[in-house]
Amino acid sequence: MDKKTFLYEEQTKLNAKLTPFAGWLMPVSYTSIFEEHNAVRQNVGLFDVSHMGEVFISGKDSLNFLQKLVPQDVSKLTKNKALYCQLTNKNGGIIDDLIIYRLDEIDKDYLLIVNASRIDDDLNWMVRNSLGFDVNIVNDSHNYSLLAVQGPKASLLIEKMGIKKENQPKFFSIKRGEIKNINVLIARTGYTGEDGFEILVKNHYSAYLWDKILEDGMEFGILPIGLGARDTLRLEAALHLYGNDLDETVTPVEAGLGWSVAKDKEEDYNGKDVIMGQLNGTVPKSKKLVGFIMEDKIPARHGYEVFYEGKKIGVVTSGGPSPVLKKNIGLAYLDVNNETSLNTLEKTLGITVNIMIRNKQYNAKIVKKPFIEKKNKKDNL
Amino acid sequence: MSEQTKVPEGILCSSTHEWVLEDGDLCTIGLTDYAIEQLGDIVFVELPEIGASFSKNEVFATIESVKAASEIYMPIGGKIVEVNEAIINSPEIINEDCYEKGWLVKIEASNPSEDTVGLLEYEDYKEEVA
Repeated sequence: MDKKTFLYEEQTKLNAKLTPFAGWLMPVSYTSIFEEHNAVRQNVGLFDVSHMGEVFISGKDSLNFLQKLVPQDVSKLTKNKALYCQLTNKNGGIIDDLIIYRLDEIDKDYLLIVNASRIDDDLNWMVRNSLGFDVNIVNDSHNYSLLAVQGPKASLLIEKMGIKKENQPKFFSIKRGEIKNINVLIARTGYTGEDGFEILVKNHYSAYLWDKILEDGMEFGILPIGLGARDTLRLEAALHLYGNDLDETVTPVEAGLGWSVAKDKEEDYNGKDVIMGQLNGTVPKSKKLVGFIMEDKIPARHGYEVFYEGKKIGVVTSGGPSPVLKKNIGLAYLDVNNETSLNTLEKTLGITVNIMIRNKQYNAKIVKKPFIEKKNKKDNL
Repeated sequence: MSEQTKVPEGILCSSTHEWVLEDGDLCTIGLTDYAIEQLGDIVFVELPEIGASFSKNEVFATIESVKAASEIYMPIGGKIVEVNEAIINSPEIINEDCYEKGWLVKIEASNPSEDTVGLLEYEDYKEEVA
């Protein structure tokens, strides 16, 4: 039986199409995926992402404990700042990708927001790694709802709801605040490539807050957004989806996440030898994640095989239409050790590969990621 | 389904959500508004070659929505005599009007009296999927 978020009733009232996802019954779309997508790119959208996991870390050794878990340097994270990183295994494989927020509160030194489908694996891994650390790991997922307000007008909407621009958290920051007299943790993070906020609220208040955001958002053209548009939005921004583009067989370096690996971190962490070796070129990478645009109108999907010079060289991990580009886009892993002239995979940009779709090959061009310009860069805020 | 969509008189619907409208020897085949609503925005359509023959329940086309590819089955058997070229370039026509402009193929039915057994009239179909 799939779990329902505390916003299930609100979504039903809005005629959401619901689908099981990671053990939850979640809205795929309310009106149309394209309409919802465009609302987020042009105005603002409201997402229920309450399925995601919230884990609080506290104790004397919280920092040292987190340092052991992720390739990022958590010691550089100052109060109220956020860090995108990965939980890695001993081989450098990705157990999950997550955001760590530093809170410095009693019993809540750090907040980790993790993928719904990975909560159990993450917790098991954290507990196994906690031996010898004075640390408390508290899975508080069942007490919180998470609402995402994303789009170029998100900041205006939050201002209208009571938090002035100058008091809003800056890019990749979090703070406590009040929206409509409700206590929230509000972070300037998201999964769309747009400016926006993620608002953590106790379950009890989430439906009230949801209704108020939609009400106040009306003048900004707000729409409720389902997982369908969440996927097309994140794909255009080339943000990875765990289970599609990331899993335990790939390292952050192979996944194109080398930027989120600290280069000068002294502490050891799980998989450091492999990850740093791949960054320095002393350990070979087995694959490389690339972006592609279909030259034909047909969409490529997760699992489709990629060919070059008649040989299989990789597999599509995510694919589908880009409403902004009006073309089909996707991400694929290419094998470094393939038997073609691309066997080092050093220069893949601009190359045309073939993707097998229902026993026919279609052309796709390797392009730079992301597919659209991200609007949530630091200097824009 | 858009407000203007009118369900044509006399269509028969399959449990896999295709509709067929008989007009003498010529039958038009499409997808029901229920199917379209479930699929959401259509982004790609793959239609068969003219002259190809398919039996009842055989896959003859593929429709891709934003999320996934779906196979489309023949509600009755026959030979393809016409395909809707307009929807190949503009698949969104199917979302806008799945009964008039958004038809998929026209066929010469091979055995309509036998093949239509088990298909439902629209009202009954609607009740079935509701």
